[in-house]
Amino acid sequence: MSEVQRKKYSEQEKSKIFDQEFMPNIDSMYNFAYRLTFDEDDAKDLVQDTYLKAFRFINSFEQGTNAKAWLFRILKNSFINDYRKKSKQPAKIDYQEVETYYNSDDVDYSSTTDLRVDAVKDMLGDEISNALNSLAVDFRTVIILCDLEGFTYEEMAKILDIPIGTVRSRLHRARNLLKDQLRSYASTMGYGNDEEDNNPESEYSE
Amino acid sequence: MDDNSTPSGERKLSCSDVSKCFQLLESILDGENMPNSKEMLNEKLAKCEPCFKHFHLEQAIRDVLKTKCTKQTVPSELEASIREIIQDKK
Repeated sequence: MSEVQRKKYSEQEKSKIFDQEFMPNIDSMYNFAYRLTFDEDDAKDLVQDTYLKAFRFINSFEQGTNAKAWLFRILKNSFINDYRKKSKQPAKIDYQEVETYYNSDDVDYSSTTDLRVDAVKDMLGDEISNALNSLAVDFRTVIILCDLEGFTYEEMAKILDIPIGTVRSRLHRARNLLKDQLRSYASTMGYGNDEEDNNPESEYSE
Repeated sequence: MDDNSTPSGERKLSCSDVSKCFQLLESILDGENMPNSKEMLNEKLAKCEPCFKHFHLEQAIRDVLKTKCTKQTVPSELEASIREIIQDKK
């Protein structure tokens, strides 16, 4: 039992925090849940569970801290603890095992890709989304948190319960995998993999 | 970290410390504030071809993720149903 008695918010304060700090994040929360589960009903359940837990444990939320990061952490833990267990498709790899592997911060930065900037810029929304969705959930998650939701490395470390160095290396790996996907789309779009410009319809050509 | 400079002022075609440089560039793109990051970034982009290319590709990828990823609309009844359950539990 905790030695320090936690401060209790009044019912009025609880409602205010819930309305002003928790609920405005429902859009981001739902999109995060959907990108984890790829299912509308599962996403709804996950968001609902998260908000119920958030309300139940509202006394452990400190006002003035980042409510969105706090909620995302609950959602991510609910996903791992509840959703993954009852999922019809159990995780193919043991999470702990994956963690141990990911936790190596030693990343090879020399691996380069011949993906071209203009090919990336011409990608359609569906192609970008599909490439992101094809990544393993832990890689997908860091990209969602960083690029789509704008969390800092420090916030991501707290949400995911991993060191900042691991956030950085996992992001790097995730983006490399994403580039591999985008490159395969690029080649089907007719972008060459070589350096010379072989796209006659380039808007930059004169 | 090497400053990657060449006497001629042209961009070097190979980077002498890819790991550190790319990690720095990626941190800057991710909005992590580091001392002198702007000066270091300008230096890299002006003088090192692999850094220049890596930076612009990484930037393009972040841009398309931010602007083009399909967004889902929150089901209209979700907020109300959450509030209802909480109200019932009170």
